Amino acid sequence: MALLRTENVTKAFGALTAVNGVSLEVEAGSLHSIIGPNGAGKTTLFNLFTGQLTPTSGRIVFDGRDITGTPSHRVAHLGIARSFQRTNVFPALSLLDNVWIAAFARRGSWRGFAWRRADRYPEVTERALAALRDVGLQDRANQLAREISHGEQRQLELAIALAAAPRLLLLDEPAAGLSPDETQRMVALVRGLKGRYTIVLIEHKMDIIMGVSDRVSVMHFGSLIAEGTPAEIQRNADVRRAYLGGVVVE
Amino acid sequence: MSRAWLAVFAAVILLPLAVRHALASEIWIFAIFGLGLNLLLGYTGLLSFGQSTFFGSAGYVSGYLLKHYGINVFAALGIGVLVGAVSAALVGYLCVQRSGLYFIMLTFALNQMFYFIAYQWTTVTGGEDGMPGIGRPVLLGVDFRQPLAYYIFVALLFLVSLWVMKRIVESPLGKILQAIRENEVRAQAVGYDGARLKLLAFVIGGAFSGLAGVLYAMLFGIVPLEAIGFVFSGNVVFATLIGGSGSLYGPIIGSFVFIWLSESVSVVWARWPLLLGVAFVIVVIFFRGGCVEAWARFWSWRERRRMATRLAS
Repeated sequence: MALLRTENVTKAFGALTAVNGVSLEVEAGSLHSIIGPNGAGKTTLFNLFTGQLTPTSGRIVFDGRDITGTPSHRVAHLGIARSFQRTNVFPALSLLDNVWIAAFARRGSWRGFAWRRADRYPEVTERALAALRDVGLQDRANQLAREISHGEQRQLELAIALAAAPRLLLLDEPAAGLSPDETQRMVALVRGLKGRYTIVLIEHKMDIIMGVSDRVSVMHFGSLIAEGTPAEIQRNADVRRAYLGGVVVE
Repeated sequence: MSRAWLAVFAAVILLPLAVRHALASEIWIFAIFGLGLNLLLGYTGLLSFGQSTFFGSAGYVSGYLLKHYGINVFAALGIGVLVGAVSAALVGYLCVQRSGLYFIMLTFALNQMFYFIAYQWTTVTGGEDGMPGIGRPVLLGVDFRQPLAYYIFVALLFLVSLWVMKRIVESPLGKILQAIRENEVRAQAVGYDGARLKLLAFVIGGAFSGLAGVLYAMLFGIVPLEAIGFVFSGNVVFATLIGGSGSLYGPIIGSFVFIWLSESVSVVWARWPLLLGVAFVIVVIFFRGGCVEAWARFWSWRERRRMATRLAS
């Protein structure tokens, strides 16, 4: 069953159509990648999923529920969490607080939230620590987010998304700006999450995608030009022309 | 109990021995006002230049009821807190939709609006002359006209306010407001309604301002027009920044420095605000965290020097 479905979603900024009639289905439990050159509209598509932007036309359905135009803080409560392409953390807060805030948001009740001491929520703290453990940052829980390296901030970025215990995890170029070593580690991390979450992964580096994805969709100038298994996509001539500029990579 | 609380208790007990009771009361009242602002300025990252709106409104409403109807002191305080919170909800609702400079200018402009209402509505507020004749009624046999009795009352309310604010900033709300300050877009993406939570911070800050406003009116027996003016709004921002907006205790230190300076130096030198200006420039350039940061830096510097001399010998 499709956990996320879009029907003819279009987003235009004035004369520029960033996303053009995209229809997409993400199967529950799968890892679905969206690839395409820079500027293809991948991040805009994420912003539409999460309510940062409202589509010009079309529908977005999450788990049988129409979420088109729902504001981002409500979308988060439905169980869609995202990481950002540009590192987007809370710099002056500790790593633990960074994930704690995300974990608390998904708690069903707001009871005592302005009065009870924050350390009296053991289950939230536990989930926050688990998210840090998942990305390997548990030893730095008390450091400030602005004091850790860029690579670690990328991991934190992911931990914030995980702490929300999402039903759908949207990862926007988790390996952006990482060294080859760090990229390897990030790929291993994402592979470890596969099966535990339904994941939509944006990437423009082919090699990262091919090993981990169940399905791959290719975006070019705002439209989907192909969809299939990684092997099918690699064979697809349109994709090679549009995305790889005619160069064959094996 | 922490060292900070011990220091606060010591200050509460020692202050009336060192300065006039009225001045000591004013320091704690201004500290309550600062606590409310700092939830916005230090924790949520919102520079409100209109806090006197809530301070003054509460002073006028409760002052009016005290003067004409002789209501109970606690009723006056409760109404003041309510007026502070409601006026802050009105102003906040309009302001939190905007950010940055527009936010600051809106708080300022709305403050001016309230000021001119108070200025024009002379039958109630007394306009430029202020609203005099506010008494401090007897409560449970205690005569609050006694400066020391009133000081103790104010000091107790200050301690309660500090405790309440401490609970708020140590609660999840405190963390969430800091997250909004740090990165509102991410806080939204994680599931928090930024505008609504900022409004909540406004209302809480307004309630503290309202409490301070009523206590101020009862202290001096008058609500001067300045109590709702922009200079007053500026003063509390000033005091909080000098004390240190990054810390719960910063505004208390700031209030102490500000009120004490304005009282003692203004007698000697009429141009005393010049000194404040210099202090402000020093804070902005060297100690962004105010007195609290200066103090912390002094200690770490001393510690390092001690280590260095120990290593040398």
